[in-house]
Amino acid sequence: MTTAFDTIRRFSALAALALVVLGFVASNAITDARWLSLLGAAWLLLLVALWVPIPAHTPPFNRAVVRTGVILGSVFVLLVVQVIRLQVVQSDRITSRVAVAPNGDVVTNGRLLNEDVRVRRGRITDRNGVILADSVQRGAAWGRVYPEPESGYVIGYYAPLTIGVDGLEASYDDVLSGTAAGSTWERWQRDVLHRNQQGADLVLTLDAGLQRYAHELLGDRPGAAILVEVETGRVLTLASTPFYDANRVSAVTSSEASAAQDYYATLLADPALPLIQRATEGLYTPGSIYKVITAAAGIDLGFTSPDRVYEDDGALDVEGRVIIENNRPDERTEWTLAESMAWSLNVVFARVGLAVGADELTAYSQAFGFGEQLPFDVPLSESQVASEDDFLDRLPALADTSFGQGQLLANPLHMAMVAAAIANDGQMMRPYLVERVVARDGTVIDQAEPRTYRTPISAATAAQVEEMMVGAVTTGYASAASVPGLRVGGKTGTAEVEGQEPHAWFIGFAGEDAPRYAVAVVLENAGAGMAGSQVVGRELLAAAIAGAGPGSTSASVQTAYVRSFSRAGGWPETPENGILDHAIRRFPTRRTGPSEAVRVGRARRIALAPRPGRRDAGQRRDRGRGRASS
Amino acid sequence: MASRVRRATFRSTELQLLVAPSLLMIVGLLTIFLAGRGEVGWAWSDIWVSLVYVGAMIGISLSFGLVGFRGDQVILPVTLTLAGFGLLMIQRLQADLTALDEGYAGLAERQLLYLSIGLGLMWFTVVVFRHLHLLQRFKYSALMLSLGMMVATVLFGREVYGAKLYIAIGPLQAQPSEIAKVGLVLFLAAYLEDKRELMGASYRLGPLTLPPLPYLFPMVLMWAACLMILVLQNDLGTALLFFGIFVTMLYVASGRIVYVSVALVSFMGACWLAYRAFGRIGIRVQNWLDPWQDPLDTGLQQVQSDYAMAAGGFFGTGLGLGQPWRIPIVETDYVFSLIGEELGAIGTLSVLALVFTLVVRGYVIALTRADGYARFVAVGLSTILGFQTLIIVGGVVRLLPLTGITLPFISYGGSSLLTNFIIVGLLLHISGLPAREEGGAT
Repeated sequence: MTTAFDTIRRFSALAALALVVLGFVASNAITDARWLSLLGAAWLLLLVALWVPIPAHTPPFNRAVVRTGVILGSVFVLLVVQVIRLQVVQSDRITSRVAVAPNGDVVTNGRLLNEDVRVRRGRITDRNGVILADSVQRGAAWGRVYPEPESGYVIGYYAPLTIGVDGLEASYDDVLSGTAAGSTWERWQRDVLHRNQQGADLVLTLDAGLQRYAHELLGDRPGAAILVEVETGRVLTLASTPFYDANRVSAVTSSEASAAQDYYATLLADPALPLIQRATEGLYTPGSIYKVITAAAGIDLGFTSPDRVYEDDGALDVEGRVIIENNRPDERTEWTLAESMAWSLNVVFARVGLAVGADELTAYSQAFGFGEQLPFDVPLSESQVASEDDFLDRLPALADTSFGQGQLLANPLHMAMVAAAIANDGQMMRPYLVERVVARDGTVIDQAEPRTYRTPISAATAAQVEEMMVGAVTTGYASAASVPGLRVGGKTGTAEVEGQEPHAWFIGFAGEDAPRYAVAVVLENAGAGMAGSQVVGRELLAAAIAGAGPGSTSASVQTAYVRSFSRAGGWPETPENGILDHAIRRFPTRRTGPSEAVRVGRARRIALAPRPGRRDAGQRRDRGRGRASS
Repeated sequence: MASRVRRATFRSTELQLLVAPSLLMIVGLLTIFLAGRGEVGWAWSDIWVSLVYVGAMIGISLSFGLVGFRGDQVILPVTLTLAGFGLLMIQRLQADLTALDEGYAGLAERQLLYLSIGLGLMWFTVVVFRHLHLLQRFKYSALMLSLGMMVATVLFGREVYGAKLYIAIGPLQAQPSEIAKVGLVLFLAAYLEDKRELMGASYRLGPLTLPPLPYLFPMVLMWAACLMILVLQNDLGTALLFFGIFVTMLYVASGRIVYVSVALVSFMGACWLAYRAFGRIGIRVQNWLDPWQDPLDTGLQQVQSDYAMAAGGFFGTGLGLGQPWRIPIVETDYVFSLIGEELGAIGTLSVLALVFTLVVRGYVIALTRADGYARFVAVGLSTILGFQTLIIVGGVVRLLPLTGITLPFISYGGSSLLTNFIIVGLLLHISGLPAREEGGAT
């Protein structure tokens, strides 16, 4: 009899334990209500397990006291289980948990944000050691300054308590803040002993001088200019205009917060969309620069070669859609492919595209990185061939796409990589912005290695396309890009946009002999004049090959600049020793900034390059008729 | 029995156990000051409070020995550790809360004052107070006084956070339900000791075997009083506590699980009705099961408390390094979350272990004393401490719906602290009474 009860009790104890362990293991999958019912069941089992027999001669009072103690004790066990669940099992999940209030406010864990500004984040420098982002102490908090405004916005901004964190500051947050530093054992020690986190430094591939020069060249024209190293994929210039002052957005203390929020509000409301980085987030109709891909596909498939002669008499009828040719420099009707590339003949590329066919053109575009997000240190917008799956099945649409119109949309950095791939024997390198991660003590934690991302075409094909692009610069519409003493190749593009002035594109590469650098330049709604984007590209290429860009700041000037920020130059010191303003303390987790900004950003980015819908595709074609795409 | 001769003694176990709270106070208080200033240098002024506290602890223990008190040697160190925790937490909160609201200035000083008075009351109850049986004799007075205070709170009470808990006497305000719970235990102990023989018996009415209804009548009255607190005062926590004490003592007196079941079922039924009738309780249930649905309004406290507990992890963020100001009313209802954040699971589990030790010692005292009334009082008072911890901690860790009552010895609040020290004083007093001979009368 007794043994039977003993067995039951033992099993109950095991079952209770099993239920709790099960609940712990599945704690992320079940609701709290379900967990509580599980715990309730475990409690009943625990009571059975604890219901030890009391000797019969025990007085009733004592018996009742012992039983009460056992019941109370079992509930204390539940408290212990619940504490362990909250503090140990679910700790990480709760810490990162985000809730949405009924009024739509997004509530995140305010504790993390406060921890954030107590950490001295790592420094970010360009490839020559020029400081691009540094931490300065303001009271107990560490704030961020960006001594090079033309590079600052590329790095993003850092205002974790008010507006949010963006750019490299966001994507490398764990490195910069030091959260990820060290082994698991070292992190554990740091947690237990409450040691300060050590943020690591970033060395970028960016060249502050070239970046500044790119901005000088772009001026206040909206657009983007990107320079990459052909053989490695290093990004030296990532310029977008208009841009914002990252210093004015980054705020860590209360006295800065309201000014930063005001500034951020004006940025959000600005119709020129300064918060959108054209170079990485922009999507534009590529126009004729896409002809490079059409030609590469045709040559790679063996359908055509630079010497092959095509007929172009000024117009081409594709199933009733008449493509008018305005680009011929003279009245000849027979043109080689190389000449067609130099003079950007739409009719010829329509013919090449029709020969390649929808499937192959799509396949080559995808091999060049269309329709996917390229790996990069900050998120890139995805280039696309068509917004509708069956768009290219219509021959007129295929013809339009072949010379860069249709539903094509291209990301500027991506286009620089396309040019670089042509110049790099058909190998598209993975683009990167962060060269290495360096710990405070100088040890290199992480060093970027150039990696081939794709090989869309053979080296032979690439050589032929490269030669045709060089031809376009020596004798063709891209002649404004030529630099004496350098071998320059390029392709211009005038991207037709419904109801707006066309975008002016230029992609190209240059080197003393073999190509060293590639560029992509886009000037929004710059009109049909092709020289503007070519000049920007040419100057950037020439400056990059000549060495560091003109006017790069020396390191000592840099340091002085940072110091002026840390001394009341940029912001007044916070009067209180504490970090946060009480308004933030009272409403600790009310954060609307970042999420809203992202949403607005997405909505507006689409507006940059109107995508023709199903219905207006026809209208677009009609209006486009007779216009040049050079 | 008060006339028995007391010879001076040396309470060595107690003194040894007091080392732990002494270290806790000195290291803890120093840590708080240093963390607040962000530097390593310290001055004697940082720890003089701790040193005075340590001195008081040792003084109390020695004086107990001098007057020949031979009672329990574990309760005092455990109590003083808990009270030390409380003082540390309030001291730690003062700077952060004062930054939010000037009204919090002097929070720690007030707590220190209450603590001193509390220690004095405890000392008095153990050393000076000799006549426990006076309390037994005036059982109905105790009941009337308790009920009267509760009624006065309902009539004249000040509403705080939607519940009527406080009564203002001039510049002071008191929470009568705190001391009323002791009155309730004193009454129940006396009444049940008187009627124990009858309670266990049953009487026949025709073919039915019934419990002794007339003797149960005051019990029913008590049950109704609990409901009254619930409805009129809108104070679910206190109602739950009173009811828990009542049911436990009834069970201990009668040994009958039937009473407990009937009372429990009817009380739960009443709670369910209240849940249907009052919106406030419905919100509580939602906050218990899923506070994340409304993280800025009704669920704010609970969500921030969850963040705090999670931030603490196993080892905590360290004293003075957490962000307790994010939890509204952290100094009373959510002081447990503060411990969870800064001292981690180690801290919270220690607090639970300390309270449970206290309860178990109380029950052991009840089991080993000879005097029937004293035994009932010991059970009742220990149960108060156990249930109160269970209700508030259960609410904070979301085992139960949250009902705002104090965490014994740790939450800020004078009434609560004084009452708890009286409880401990009475327990110590009872532990000094003669022990029951094995197999003797019960």
